[in-house]
Amino acid sequence: MSARPESGRSDWTDLDLLTRKEAGERLHAEIAETRARLDELGEADPQARAALEQRLSLLRARAGDLSGG
Amino acid sequence: MPLQPWMKMLSTDDHLIEPPKLWSDRLPAKYREAGPTIVEQPRPSGGPPAEVWKYEDRLYPTIGLNAVAGKKPEEFGIDPTRYDEMIPGCYDPRARLADMDIDGVWGALCFPSFPRFAGTLFLEGEDPELAHLCVKAWNDYILDEWCATAPDRLIPLVILPLWDVQACVTEIHRTAAKGAKAIAFPENPVPLGLPSFHTDHWDPVFSAAEETGMPLTMHFGTSGQAPITAPEAPMAVMIALFGCNSMYATADLLFSPVFHKHPELKVGLSEGGIGWVPYLLERIDTTWERHRFYQNVNQDVRPSELFRRHIHGCFIDDSFGIEARHAIGVDNITWECDYPHSDSYWPKSRAVAAERLADVPDEEVHKIVELNVRRLYNFPA
Repeated sequence: MSARPESGRSDWTDLDLLTRKEAGERLHAEIAETRARLDELGEADPQARAALEQRLSLLRARAGDLSGG
Repeated sequence: MPLQPWMKMLSTDDHLIEPPKLWSDRLPAKYREAGPTIVEQPRPSGGPPAEVWKYEDRLYPTIGLNAVAGKKPEEFGIDPTRYDEMIPGCYDPRARLADMDIDGVWGALCFPSFPRFAGTLFLEGEDPELAHLCVKAWNDYILDEWCATAPDRLIPLVILPLWDVQACVTEIHRTAAKGAKAIAFPENPVPLGLPSFHTDHWDPVFSAAEETGMPLTMHFGTSGQAPITAPEAPMAVMIALFGCNSMYATADLLFSPVFHKHPELKVGLSEGGIGWVPYLLERIDTTWERHRFYQNVNQDVRPSELFRRHIHGCFIDDSFGIEARHAIGVDNITWECDYPHSDSYWPKSRAVAAERLADVPDEEVHKIVELNVRRLYNFPA
């Protein structure tokens, strides 16, 4: 068994987790970007529009989950 | 766009946070108090108490959540220190899958957090039997709960009781029989007080990995040795240099007997990037050509050839590595997401990868983001 102290370990230094706040900010930025892409697309490409609308819906749901949690 | 919608992105380096009852739900009654449990501690900054792990009589300063090392005490608490401050995808596999869905990521290999990325925390255990049971409990959680939530998307990686080679071998075979696909292993065992790759100590472990077809995954930092240049140096120095740990592991392994004795063994270097590979292989080959004759190194096989047969690396963001992919070997490259660490590009990992890989032919992109992982980790579609 090794007895090196916790303070001497380095795995932890990589553990900079996304906070709820940062995750929420990223989601809202992505929602805004997706809406802008939808506006830009207009009715030009129904398939691309459907994909973006689906993504927007997922992003909004996830943002709602986080703010509700 | 070479990253086609039908390509299923598989990340070879993500992380999970252990749920509070992972060990207490699995350990025998006599060990539940000494095994890892979550306890509350007052926070210096005030507010709700922090949640920290207690294992035997030791308190660990975080629940595997925040980067304390290198930070001033007044900066502690910026990151989450309670489960309710975390995004649920850290510890809840269903929430993880939902987060992967909006990130455009199909699958992920997840490293431990509290046990450290290769389970080396349990080397500190005062009771070897308890430590062994803790290792088995983590592996059972990964296999029976985390990855069982979506066996076609979550790739099971296991940890080992590193203080006991025979126990490692037994655990490799036990977990392989339950569906494990990879083994977390220290990038260098020596700083942990364990024998090096240059001894025959690990041969039974490496043979068991070969027999079960599981690669060893070596995440940077798992040696317990960080690239710190000076006590006063900002943490940025260490973060910038962490890929050097993967370089050390590569040189160490290529000049060791490991791959000569274990021709089927595969090693994955996690989070170290790939842009350095061509330079280091050139340097290693030159060293081998000029200096092998008077040293105890293999005299017949060029180290770069060994690299191509045995080692693969991964990247989040590595333009030089992508440009140099043919010098590295397209078959030796995988992609990583690093969720839920803030280094990840979540929730737009796929879009960022598509940008980075925009000049790479479709078939090479497919190898990098999916096919290489399926081959190396025996994880068929």
